[in-house]
Amino acid sequence: MTSGRGNSCDVAVIGAGMAGMAAALFAAERGLSCIQVGSGGGILFASGLLDLLGVHPVAEGRLWRSPYAALAALAREQPGHPLARVDPGAIRTAFESFVAALGEAGLAYAPLRGRNRSVLTALGTLKTTFGVPLSMVAGANLLEAPGGRQPCLLVDFRGLREFSARQIAATLGDRWPGLRCQRIDFPGFEAVPELYAAHLARALESGETRERTIALIQPLLGDAHAVGLPAVLGLGHSRAVHAAFEAGLGLPVFEIPTMPTSVPGLRLLGALERVMAARGVRRRHLSSVRALARNGNPGTMTLELDGVPGGERLSARAVVLATGRFSGRGLTADRGGVRESLLGLPVQQPASREAWHQRDFLDPSGHAINRAGLRIDAAWRPLDASGQPAMPRLYAVGSILAGQDWMRAKCGSGLAIATAWAAMEQVADHLGGAGAG
Amino acid sequence: MSRTLFHMALYAALALGALGLLWRMAAWFRVRIGPDARAVTPAERVGALFRGAASALFSRRLLHVVAALFLDVLLQRRLYANDKLRWLGHLLMFFGFMLLLLLHALAPVVTVPLFPGYESTLAPWLFLRNLCGAMVLIGIALFLYGVWRRRTRFAPVRGPMAAAFIALLGFVLMTGFLLEADKIASPQAFHRMAQENGVTDPAELEPLRALWAAEYGVAFSDLRQPLTPELLEKGRAVHAEGCESCHARPQSAFVSYPIARALASVAGALDAARADVWLLYLHVFACFVGLATLPFTRFYHAVAAPVSLLVDAAAPKREFSAAARASRRALALDACVRCGLCDTDCSVAPLARHLGNPTLLPSHKLIATGALAGGSLLASGHEDDALRAAEGAFLCTDCGRCTSACPVGLDLEDLWEAGRGDLAAANLPAPAQWVRARTASAWAELLRQGQSAHVLSDPDAALAPLSADRNSFSRCVQCQTCTNVCPVVAHSTDPGCGVDLTPQKVMNLLRLGMRDFTLGSRMVWDCATCYQCQENCPEGIRVADIMVELRALAVHRLGAVRNWKAPS
Amino acid sequence: MKYALFLGCKIPSRLPAYEASTRAVLAHLGVTLVDLEFTCCGYPARNVSRDGFVVSAARNLALAERAGLDVLTPCTCCLGTLRHAQVLLDEDAPLRSRVAQALAADGLAWSGKAAVEHVLPLLARLIGTNKGATVPAAAVSVPRTGLRVAAQYGCHALRPANVARFDNPMAPTIFETLIRATGATPVDWPRRLDCCGDPLHEGNPPLAEHMTRAKIADALASGAEVLCTACPHCHLRFDAVQSGAPDPSLRTLLYTQLLGQAMGLPAKSLGL
Ligand SMILES: Cc1cc2nc3c(=O)[nH]c(=O)nc-3n(C[C@H](O)[C@H](O)[C@H](O)COP(=O)(O)OP(=O)(O)OC[C@H]3O[C@@H](n4cnc5c(N)ncnc54)[C@H](O)[C@@H]3O)c2cc1C
Ligand code: SF4
Ligand code: SF4
Ligand code: SF4
Ligand code: SF4
Repeated sequence: MTSGRGNSCDVAVIGAGMAGMAAALFAAERGLSCIQVGSGGGILFASGLLDLLGVHPVAEGRLWRSPYAALAALAREQPGHPLARVDPGAIRTAFESFVAALGEAGLAYAPLRGRNRSVLTALGTLKTTFGVPLSMVAGANLLEAPGGRQPCLLVDFRGLREFSARQIAATLGDRWPGLRCQRIDFPGFEAVPELYAAHLARALESGETRERTIALIQPLLGDAHAVGLPAVLGLGHSRAVHAAFEAGLGLPVFEIPTMPTSVPGLRLLGALERVMAARGVRRRHLSSVRALARNGNPGTMTLELDGVPGGERLSARAVVLATGRFSGRGLTADRGGVRESLLGLPVQQPASREAWHQRDFLDPSGHAINRAGLRIDAAWRPLDASGQPAMPRLYAVGSILAGQDWMRAKCGSGLAIATAWAAMEQVADHLGGAGAG
Repeated sequence: MSRTLFHMALYAALALGALGLLWRMAAWFRVRIGPDARAVTPAERVGALFRGAASALFSRRLLHVVAALFLDVLLQRRLYANDKLRWLGHLLMFFGFMLLLLLHALAPVVTVPLFPGYESTLAPWLFLRNLCGAMVLIGIALFLYGVWRRRTRFAPVRGPMAAAFIALLGFVLMTGFLLEADKIASPQAFHRMAQENGVTDPAELEPLRALWAAEYGVAFSDLRQPLTPELLEKGRAVHAEGCESCHARPQSAFVSYPIARALASVAGALDAARADVWLLYLHVFACFVGLATLPFTRFYHAVAAPVSLLVDAAAPKREFSAAARASRRALALDACVRCGLCDTDCSVAPLARHLGNPTLLPSHKLIATGALAGGSLLASGHEDDALRAAEGAFLCTDCGRCTSACPVGLDLEDLWEAGRGDLAAANLPAPAQWVRARTASAWAELLRQGQSAHVLSDPDAALAPLSADRNSFSRCVQCQTCTNVCPVVAHSTDPGCGVDLTPQKVMNLLRLGMRDFTLGSRMVWDCATCYQCQENCPEGIRVADIMVELRALAVHRLGAVRNWKAPS
Repeated sequence: MKYALFLGCKIPSRLPAYEASTRAVLAHLGVTLVDLEFTCCGYPARNVSRDGFVVSAARNLALAERAGLDVLTPCTCCLGTLRHAQVLLDEDAPLRSRVAQALAADGLAWSGKAAVEHVLPLLARLIGTNKGATVPAAAVSVPRTGLRVAAQYGCHALRPANVARFDNPMAPTIFETLIRATGATPVDWPRRLDCCGDPLHEGNPPLAEHMTRAKIADALASGAEVLCTACPHCHLRFDAVQSGAPDPSLRTLLYTQLLGQAMGLPAKSLGL
């Protein structure tokens, strides 16, 4: 593989959402040199919970206890779904690998088991997900406890408007009699009318503020078997903060994700960036790919970047398109319909604009437009108008792919991680086969 | 020349000069620059001077003072380091002038006692006088060339006093040379001397005249005999008897002699017009004028600059008491020679040119600082000057390059800091401060009344193109990420010094078309430009860049409705 | 290897040790530094005039360009500002022509040829550190073994990343790698990427102090013995906030000094 200096690499990943990050990580793990262009993506809006597949079929809203059983059903009933194209064993490996990398970067996840978990949300609802951060897992354990839900204390902070323990208790109270709530002043921020979660998270990374907060909660514990807090237990050093709370309170402590954008989103983004730095992925932040062209067959590909003085040109042997959908700007909608933004690749989409949405906006079966995206061949290469791979070494992963509705199927991270893994397998295969030195 | 007239004029000039000097030097203890200077009385400042002088005299610092006297004052070491050409010019002027002053002007009290048998018309004095005069003239020329060579758009304010001083110096030298030339060429002067020496017999007089015509440059119009060698030989014998002890051949006066030759044809006419008398009057009285006005021309630097250098040497800057510092600053106003070397080196000189505001430049800032201390900058009608001076003062980067460039060794950074203190006291602080005087909405209301409300005019677009272009912020989804990563909001836990908005709210005001409500906002002004918001914004909005642009816009738009008035 | 050294406004007058140690270390590594008649990078002008800021910056870039040299600066704020000006000149054509006019008055022109580089990445290349390297670099003769060092990156070296182009702005590693190269141990501290507070010290001193003290306390709590800087503004800020205390509790050290010590250069040449 090429040594990866300066502006050339084996794989260029366009996009830094969950799919782009996963692709870059897996490229690095396969020993491919990698440059990744783009910033943030949807990761900031994530809750830190890694969904694999929670709902299938979307129209029925059926929740699954086992994501692998759900995957099997999906493969049977919706073989065109990108997740259905990936071998479940590979998905398992990909998730393990992804979570392990996050753990190395300081963001620990509870060991993955073969089943989905239920996690408390800030609205008091339960969310079905797969990968749960260690700092939140005590909550899932409580919820799922076979012997019934034990007494629990929820604490919130005066001024933190995005999180109300009282609301959660009100929503869940009748199903969880031992759930109590308390409000305290956040130490050092007593005079601040409006609090922001990340500021509290940073403050808690200081031992002094931590001690003072623990001391405020201690007298409120009562009969609680666990303590739930908004997700503010540290940012880059959440593991230490969470451990200190559990040690200080002598009880399991769990975080409840706040409304996006939240501390867990920032944590996840930070951890993924640390993963990239540690694996030597060369990042190009705040810039975007303006044009992509290929030289020779299969040859190399040239990426032109915006946002740096004089522009920058990258040369890559393979390119992974992980530019997301509309919010990620991978897809653009206009009067003529939906296009792929960078190369104008054809997008599988409803025949007319009228068919984009169901008549009822809240229709549980979702909207056709949400399943629009790129069609790909068996090697994860997007197809051009003639049905052939648009470029021999161009691959597509993540939410830009057609035939899925990740939001309703609760499979966002699963889609990103699984497709990135599968596509990178192909990339490695193709590049290896191309006889690189 | 009448002795009484001479003496009267001399003493009058001396008295005037001395009084002027006292008056000007009193300012060193009177003028207050900087808030800390207001806390000390003139008496304390005089006391500090004596204490400082005493402690310097009786300590090893004395060595520093002596070294400074030679290296800094006499040899101009600092000027040498910064501008060799002007150093040469200054050295030529200085030594030429000092030698003329000592050996020529003060001959009765210096040269005569030191050199028995001194006569101004003997060698080497003829030559030396010309040499010194020429040194001064060449020095002036070099100096003017040096100034011209380093000319910039904003020359230091040298003023009519600087030109008057150079003109007077030139005038004294020119009249001196002319006077000497006239004396060389003048037949009348020859006859007067011959008479005084008793050479009246034509048999002696004619050969002497022949000799002086041939070898001493006298322009006789009535020589009766051809200048034969025998005649000259005779003349030489007469000369050896009566004249030689006082008169050397004037050719060594390498400036005056050629002038005398050039004047030969009009020598008679000059005699008839009594040129020797009025040239002498002009020469001497020009000197007296120089003496009397010394404290008020740029020549005053010859007093103030050495004092400044020696004071500097007497105590390290950091050890100055508040009283000493106060005097030191007032002294700096006088000691500045307006050389402009600081301006050439100033870090913000390109910005000064761009903004068209010379008060960014140190030599101009020094004057403005003085004007502020003296009150003239705050007089009504000078509002614009005051505002510009404030702009200049607060754009200084404190780089200290002016201080190292200054040949007089002025501690300019201290002066700038003091000046900024005075500006703040006059309600002219840095923008980050004066904006604080009102809340963001009070500013917006002022803008509305001023009818300069939200228009995306061209100058706005050049100052703040991002905030003038909807595309740069319209994609904001109000996700709060910018606020979450903002350290300034995070550290605003004390309402007394915290921010009013958040970056996300600033972006929202822009989206709502309420840009005027952001301009005076604490958030905009307290933004640390750490770029966390911009780096993390999921929509790629250039939040921090917008913040900074809003400040530039605020300086202009709020500045326009600020309506600053000098405190009465 | 030859660079035009851009010291900026703070180093010569307030932190001469940074100039001395930079020169000493780079001379030792065989880099020639050229002094041009640079002026302010333009940072202070940003609050007043966008054009004024770019003109100030571009003049320096044009001087380097005329000398055929790239610019090397030890100041992260100068780095950020000069690079920012490059970006603006690159993306804003009308601005470019206004600036060209201003420069032409001085017989200068900007075409973007002169690159701007900070001392840290250059040092990383010179002493041949690899990412994650754990052994002292070859140039190091007196490894600073056991010294626990907190790296202070400085905002403008990192962000915005497309302008600064220094390292991953969210997870930079270059400073820690360079610390390891001296044999010292970098400490991980939660506030390592935070602003030092310096830009606020005039506008809002109490807030600025709050920010600075939080960083110092954090570095101390994380076990740092030395706070290592690569920017005069950060460095002076930490010293200023600690100067009131009887003895500063967290020693500040410039990276060039740390490396110079490790290379066995005489303390005096490093301004120590
Ligand atoms: C509101 C919200 C909630 C979420 N909650 C969850 C959750 O609970 N559980 C979960 O598992 N996941 C969640 N996610 C994350 C989700 O998994 C991913 O967002 C989704 O899989 C899409 O990822 P993506 O990488 O395909 O696209 P995106 O995240 O949209 O990323 C696209 C990337 O491409 C970049 N890009 C686009 N064009 C270019 C170009 N020309 N050049 C360079 N770069 C370009 C963009 O800058 C961006 O970085 C959530 C996301 C959102 C938005
Ligand atoms: S200290 Fe101020 S006035 Fe002096 S050279 Fe520097 S910027 Fe100019
Ligand atoms: S301050 Fe000093 S350098 Fe500047 S003009 Fe005056 S004497 Fe010259
Ligand atoms: S981070 Fe960006 S999108 Fe979010 S609120 Fe701030 S400016 Fe708006
Ligand atoms: S640049 Fe300003 S607004 Fe943005 S995060 Fe930093 S301090 Fe806050």
